[in-house]
Amino acid sequence: MRGRQFASMLLATTAALSLAGAAGEASAQARKHEGVTVNIMTFTGPQIAEPLQRRAPDFEKATGAKINVITVPFSDLYQKLLTDWATGTNAIDAAVFAPQWMVDYVAAGLLEDLTDRVAKDTALQVDDIAPFFREFSQQYGGRTYLITLDGDFQMVYYRKDHFQAAGLKAPETWDDYIAAAKALHGKDLNGDGQPDYGSCIAKKRNAQSYWMISSIAGAFLQSKGTSQGGFFDTRTMKPLYNNEAFGKALDVYLETTKYGPPDEINLDVGDTRALFTTGRCALTLDWGDIGTLAIDTTTSKVVDKVGSVILPGSREVLNRDTGKLEPCNPTLCPYAVNGVNHAPFAAFGGWSGGINKKAPAKVKDAAYDFISYMSQPAQSNVDVTIGRTGFNPYRISQFKNLELWIKAGMSEAAARDYLGAIEASLASPNMMLDLRIPKNQQYQQVVLDTALARLLAKEIDKAAAMRAIERGWEEITEEVGRDKQLAAYKASIGAK
Amino acid sequence: MSPLGAFFTYAALGVWAFVCLFPLYWIFVTSFKLPIHVNDGPVYVPFVDFTPSLHAWEYIFVDLRNDTLRPYLNSVVVALASTCLSLLVGSLAAYALTRVTYRVSLGAVGLFLALLAATVVAVVLAGVPWWLAAAVAIALLVLLLRALAGRFRRHLGNDDILFWMISNRILPPVVAVLPIYMMFQKVGLLDTHLALILTYAAVNLPIVVWLMRDFFATIPYEIEESAQIDGAGRFRIVATIILPLARAGLAATFLLVLILAWNEYLLALFLSTADAQTMPLLVAGQNATRGPQWWYMSVLIVLMVAPVVALAIALQRYIAKGFLVGAVKG
Amino acid sequence: MSSHREPSALGRFLERHADQILIWPAVLLLLAFSIFPTIASATLALSRLDLAPGGFTLTFVGLRNFQRLLFGSQQDHLLGTMAPLGPLATGLWLAAAGLVLVGIARYVVRNLGREPLALVVGLFGRVLAALLFLALLALVLSTNAPGGFPGSLVTTLVYVLGGVSIQFLLGLGLALLVARPIKGRRFFRVVFFLPLMVTPVGIAYGFRMLADTGKGPLAPIWQAFGLEEFAWAADPWAARIVVMIGDTWQWTPFMFLVLLAALETQPKDQVEAAWLDGAGPWQVFRFVTWPAIAPVAATVVLIRLIEAFKIIDLPNVLTNGGPGFATESLTLHAFIAWRTQDLGGSAAVGYILLFVAVVTCTSFVNFLAKRARGP
Repeated sequence: MRGRQFASMLLATTAALSLAGAAGEASAQARKHEGVTVNIMTFTGPQIAEPLQRRAPDFEKATGAKINVITVPFSDLYQKLLTDWATGTNAIDAAVFAPQWMVDYVAAGLLEDLTDRVAKDTALQVDDIAPFFREFSQQYGGRTYLITLDGDFQMVYYRKDHFQAAGLKAPETWDDYIAAAKALHGKDLNGDGQPDYGSCIAKKRNAQSYWMISSIAGAFLQSKGTSQGGFFDTRTMKPLYNNEAFGKALDVYLETTKYGPPDEINLDVGDTRALFTTGRCALTLDWGDIGTLAIDTTTSKVVDKVGSVILPGSREVLNRDTGKLEPCNPTLCPYAVNGVNHAPFAAFGGWSGGINKKAPAKVKDAAYDFISYMSQPAQSNVDVTIGRTGFNPYRISQFKNLELWIKAGMSEAAARDYLGAIEASLASPNMMLDLRIPKNQQYQQVVLDTALARLLAKEIDKAAAMRAIERGWEEITEEVGRDKQLAAYKASIGAK
Repeated sequence: MSPLGAFFTYAALGVWAFVCLFPLYWIFVTSFKLPIHVNDGPVYVPFVDFTPSLHAWEYIFVDLRNDTLRPYLNSVVVALASTCLSLLVGSLAAYALTRVTYRVSLGAVGLFLALLAATVVAVVLAGVPWWLAAAVAIALLVLLLRALAGRFRRHLGNDDILFWMISNRILPPVVAVLPIYMMFQKVGLLDTHLALILTYAAVNLPIVVWLMRDFFATIPYEIEESAQIDGAGRFRIVATIILPLARAGLAATFLLVLILAWNEYLLALFLSTADAQTMPLLVAGQNATRGPQWWYMSVLIVLMVAPVVALAIALQRYIAKGFLVGAVKG
Repeated sequence: MSSHREPSALGRFLERHADQILIWPAVLLLLAFSIFPTIASATLALSRLDLAPGGFTLTFVGLRNFQRLLFGSQQDHLLGTMAPLGPLATGLWLAAAGLVLVGIARYVVRNLGREPLALVVGLFGRVLAALLFLALLALVLSTNAPGGFPGSLVTTLVYVLGGVSIQFLLGLGLALLVARPIKGRRFFRVVFFLPLMVTPVGIAYGFRMLADTGKGPLAPIWQAFGLEEFAWAADPWAARIVVMIGDTWQWTPFMFLVLLAALETQPKDQVEAAWLDGAGPWQVFRFVTWPAIAPVAATVVLIRLIEAFKIIDLPNVLTNGGPGFATESLTLHAFIAWRTQDLGGSAAVGYILLFVAVVTCTSFVNFLAKRARGP
């Protein structure tokens, strides 16, 4: 693995050198951004920050722009950026952050509109970026503010070896998921003689649990395409989280707990990844990271034993006219596959680069070129295959090109499987967008997250949890203004 | 001590020593582990049940290089400077509070608060520039203080001053951090050492005052009185008699405050951007989307603990002596 | 002490105003860092912050933030879910209320002869403290009754009262042991001091490793007791206790260090005289040692009380406040609100913390510390 990783690094270096070489000729004239320094902020690596830091010297050689990568702890990145920009300090020129935060930064007028730059930028090959990221993740209200560097959406990973041995098929619906988790729970999955777990899902408070529940709920709540939205009714802005369909999702969520580790309530995604890659779980729900982590022989015991699949779906979905859970039919679930409605959830949205509107013009130019450089296939197609970059595939060429992944250490079958699941998710017209409206942190991280935590801790029951979510969400909506929030919600999902 | 008593004494001390050391040992060995050693269940002793690896140290010192060294230097500068500042200012105040009876007129406090309120109203509601309002308020305060203060009989005493000082530490930093950020933004000191030094000196000052007051209070007045009879002034007495006598207390307080400044996180996060970042930011940063990177984090913790331990061992001679050994002889 | 000491004009000026010059730097430094932050955060507590073109806007909302925390949708979060009191708890509360009433009545009777204003001020402070105490007691009892769940305020009180008293007793016990003439004192002194030096975030992560029942160093012990399926993080009290163990590990050294220093300043001859008089160890401690160290003890407890109210790193890293709200402290509550753009709510939590902590600390200073210091 070390050797293979080295090979991909080598590839990266070669690509960079050729770029530097090309630029070397140009530098006979003055280099494009000579003397410009760009302060670009992201969180403390190695993920995300590492590729930025690694490639900055090459970029400087080629263009003359000095890239200063500044890092702060992940949990405080949002506040730090907002404080720097909103109070007018403007020490930070650009940042790599989550598209979900874009709504706040755009509302406050802090982000540079990149629409025209992207249109003129041929090297970026924007058409190669998967449509979901190009049209939803990078954009807000029809304008482009971000450039995607990382593809984030959730999938289900399972232990292919044990599934085959037990005669199970990859889960197609959440019922299949539960049945498989139940069948494999308590079996020894990694050969250490200890019983292992059927399903590991990050359910820790103030961590990722609210994305996990939305990944489950999507299949029951959104069936008519991305623009239908999976959080609110686009007619009334009423929450979709207090009805039979969401109740079913909560049932699934609670049921998986029975087949999970005893302290699942205190596991965040880092913990579940460690458990899954050391072979302790039969199933897990996660972002694309598991794909590359599972082939990293320094940490993984499940190399080539992992299957990946689009988020499981449901044969019953919410009918928004009746408010009931109803069996799928062609009008209700136009995008169903074999009668099963899937709604792959673009949780978090993928790390993307954006530029401070108040930065000096020269700095903006250099910052744009750097972010574009990072996203261009020559760089990106290498970085997404390296686990420690934290970058997951988001370009069409990345999941069409098996070579890249085999070079990175996947077997052909595993690569086919992994990329197939990614393609199935990204190609789905029913992909569910993360919540991107003002105060989304309060909707998700406070109201939804605490309701889930209290439900898991048995402080409240299912009905009370759903009531708490509805009440809390309505309170925030009322406070900000229903019409304003509805307009923002519709703009974010591209609804008419 | 009876043999049995001695046994129980050493047993208790031994147990607690183990409790203190084991977590540190664990962090230390974790810094030499590969991820798989950590994720795969416990291994305890390097070379015996796992082969130690320098990969984490390599990452911190080779890959990150300046990104480790710069915060490290910043931490050293900020912690030392702020500790010295707050120890100096705080000791003087603590000494004064044990030797001088202050009588703060309630009228003066009332006047101060009233002018403060007027300033706020002027700035917020009438849109007067803040520096102008503040200047007018200070001028009024100086002018009216003498006239008004004499009219009120009730006074606040030393205890009230002390309590006011410590009460400044009660408000959680989360609430105060944005205003402090904006203050330093106004004067253009964000991302400088000075901002962090001043802030830490101020937030740790109450602790210095409270601890040093107890130490000064135990120094007998007679020593000073004899010096006073010799004609020595207040500052001379403090510099040549009191501070040397209290050096053990100073050493202990120095160490405590240094540790607080060395380890502070939230204020450092906001007041620094690139140049002035300190070590705690780096430690906290090791928990990212991949889950905590125990091995890197352990290296950083070891790096952070090492100099303070060295300092503590160096200073322990003073701390160990107790606070008054010198005074009795003096 | 001769000719060169002839003071200059500046020197004379400094000497004349020495009393003022000694204290003003400290007062000014504190004022500089307290005036604006206090005003600004008080403003925030009464406002709602919205992001708007050009940055942000503040909308004045009155006491909305407090109302929501104390009576509205966030009540469960701050105070907890209250359940009706059982007979035992009711009796306990009534007994406490009776004692408090008696105390106040005694104060009035004893101070009737004093200046009326002093009496009113003293009475006001006592009544306020008594009301807060009784209200908090009722809250603690009812959120711990069957069907109730403590919120962040109650959890913080548990951390503060439980943690500080354990740390004080442990610190005092260790200091008494190390103050005896034993071998290896220097070693123990340095070792016992070590935990304080680790950065709080580091301690929190360290304990997360240690408390891991599957991969931590204690895993074999858990397995030996057949507890590998027991998850402390899923049990409210177990989780709180784990947080308090970490807190105790970190802060006992502080108590130990300062109390040891106090013990060592105690004149040896007094103790020896007491021994010669035939006093037992307990009597020596009670009548000789304790009075000598009480003032310092009062100070360390006060400092620890204040710091303990601000506990955040341990619950944040160990459990993120879970299961449910079980381990969430007030500062963590404020921090989560702050991180999610609810700056008004965050400041309101901060001010509630400030109020409870100030009343607690004032009561401590007035009712216990002053007595400990003696007249």
